Amino acid sequence: MLYIEDLTKNYGTFTAVNQLSLHIPEGDLFGFVGPNGAGKTTTIRIVCGLLRASAGKVRIGGMALEAGKRNRKRLIGYVPDFFGVYDNLKVREYMDFYGSMYGMGHRDIVKLTDDLLELVNLTDKKEFYVDTLSRGMKQRLCVARALLHNPKLLILDEPSSGLDPGARVEMKELLKNLHSMGKTIVISSHILSELSEMCSSIGIMNRGQLVAAGRMEDIMQMLAGGNRIHVCISSDMEPAVRFLKEQAGVMVDSVRENEVLISYDRGDEEICVLIGRMIQSGIVLTGFHREEGSLESLFMQLTGGGDR
Amino acid sequence: MKLKLNPIVKKDMQVAARSMRISWGLLAYEAVLALAFMLAILVIQEDVSYSSYRNIYNYLIYLFPVLAVTQVCIVALIVPIITASSISGEKERQTFDIMLTTCMSPFSIVLGKMVSAMIRILFFVAASMPVMALAFVVGGLSWSLLFYFLLTIVLLSIFSGSVGIFCSAFCKRSITAVILSFVIYFVIFALPFLPVLFAAILGWDSFGESLLFLLFDPVVFFEEFFMHIISETSILGGVSHAFTKDQVGFITYHLAQGKLWMFVSAACILLLSFGFMLLAAWKINPLHASSGRKRKTKGAE
Repeated sequence: MLYIEDLTKNYGTFTAVNQLSLHIPEGDLFGFVGPNGAGKTTTIRIVCGLLRASAGKVRIGGMALEAGKRNRKRLIGYVPDFFGVYDNLKVREYMDFYGSMYGMGHRDIVKLTDDLLELVNLTDKKEFYVDTLSRGMKQRLCVARALLHNPKLLILDEPSSGLDPGARVEMKELLKNLHSMGKTIVISSHILSELSEMCSSIGIMNRGQLVAAGRMEDIMQMLAGGNRIHVCISSDMEPAVRFLKEQAGVMVDSVRENEVLISYDRGDEEICVLIGRMIQSGIVLTGFHREEGSLESLFMQLTGGGDR
Repeated sequence: MKLKLNPIVKKDMQVAARSMRISWGLLAYEAVLALAFMLAILVIQEDVSYSSYRNIYNYLIYLFPVLAVTQVCIVALIVPIITASSISGEKERQTFDIMLTTCMSPFSIVLGKMVSAMIRILFFVAASMPVMALAFVVGGLSWSLLFYFLLTIVLLSIFSGSVGIFCSAFCKRSITAVILSFVIYFVIFALPFLPVLFAAILGWDSFGESLLFLLFDPVVFFEEFFMHIISETSILGGVSHAFTKDQVGFITYHLAQGKLWMFVSAACILLLSFGFMLLAAWKINPLHASSGRKRKTKGAE
């Protein structure tokens, strides 16, 4: 659906996006992650035709960005991170306005408005003025607006920023719902837990470059490669830590009140042997488990966690 | 073929109709006109009372130019303010990016903003018709003149609207766009006089075709229009008669005769307006060459 090749955007000597290549297949829910200044919004704006790329190619639904602007625009529904509203315009009129801007007929707009407002749970707000809606409602309305012309690709830039937890959950459910309907969705966000829950694939950007991209399972597997084990101890901690430090191949990463986090780069059998030796030496264990990979840890690992 | 209303015009009309600003604006517009009307009547009455044999009705014809010039001044002031905030207002509201991602072309957006501003101003002008009609009834002027006057107001709206839109496309803030509009106004009003001024200062034997620059000047256009209405004369016509064919160029000499100058000038002003609109459309197109260099996204994120 979205094919980006060697995309570069320069602002004078500053390179905001550096030779980014990416392929998002149809029906995918792609999460775009990266620290502030990584180049996510710039990439999104180029894809939406709001910014001219310095170099590279972008194809949407097989159509080049430069060719057939009107048709290409029909393929995309864009939800910016922040959007304003018009005073004195009702929800119904807001939808009518944007529908007309896509050249849709009044009857189609009316019918689709009803369906979409139901989808985003705003049917009862149809006659309300847009500026009286809450931020969460406005964001959902913006999604409905972006879907009005039935785009194949929905692009959302930080849709959850500034939303309260309840509104975030609603937005997440809405996006999951749209994904199940077969829409291709690209979402950029800082809320990694949210993305890991709903995205089918993910791309991590840092300093204008894509540092990792792929299916969510594959990305998570990258993390599972390391053997970090949490060992829960109820006996005295000091001899237990000393014992672990004496074992070959074991690195003690952190010590908490009743838990030691160790790195042990061996297979499952060796881990079992180590645990057995700990019990034999009189250390009382209440449990142990391998650390699960999280998107946060991968993000920190790949980006250094800092802003640009 | 079904004619479709530009969505921006429809939306702007909906929003404006619900706003109190339009009602207050209308009140202020009518108030200024009424004030001008009363002042003109007062001056005419005082002038006539000096001499007992003067007939007041001979002087009431001057009501029209007073009211018309007042209207022209108000329109020339209001339209740039409305249009200068049209695109920059969308930028300030952060609705502009969404607008650009729709199927509307940049020129349709500019045109929509332009037409909605013109409709608003014509609404004001229409509301002023009873006062204007009074000037015609007692002033003894023809109704066709009222129609021509309306056409000139439309022309002025297009011109000042295009200047406002042009500035709005180039500025991020509405206030900057409004100030820039008036600066450009001044430049357009004054610039065509420069060649004439140079010719006069340097003492050239012939003005050549330098007077043709005045075709683009709305001030000269309105001066010619009102001169024709009041006295069926023309300053430019006078100039061409005052000079020999050698002192002005061939085109200037023949163009300045009769009403031809007004029509050509109207076409030139429309052409200039169209140029401003095209430039505005070029500027707001995010994919044109220079916008990519200058426009920055928030922190280039």
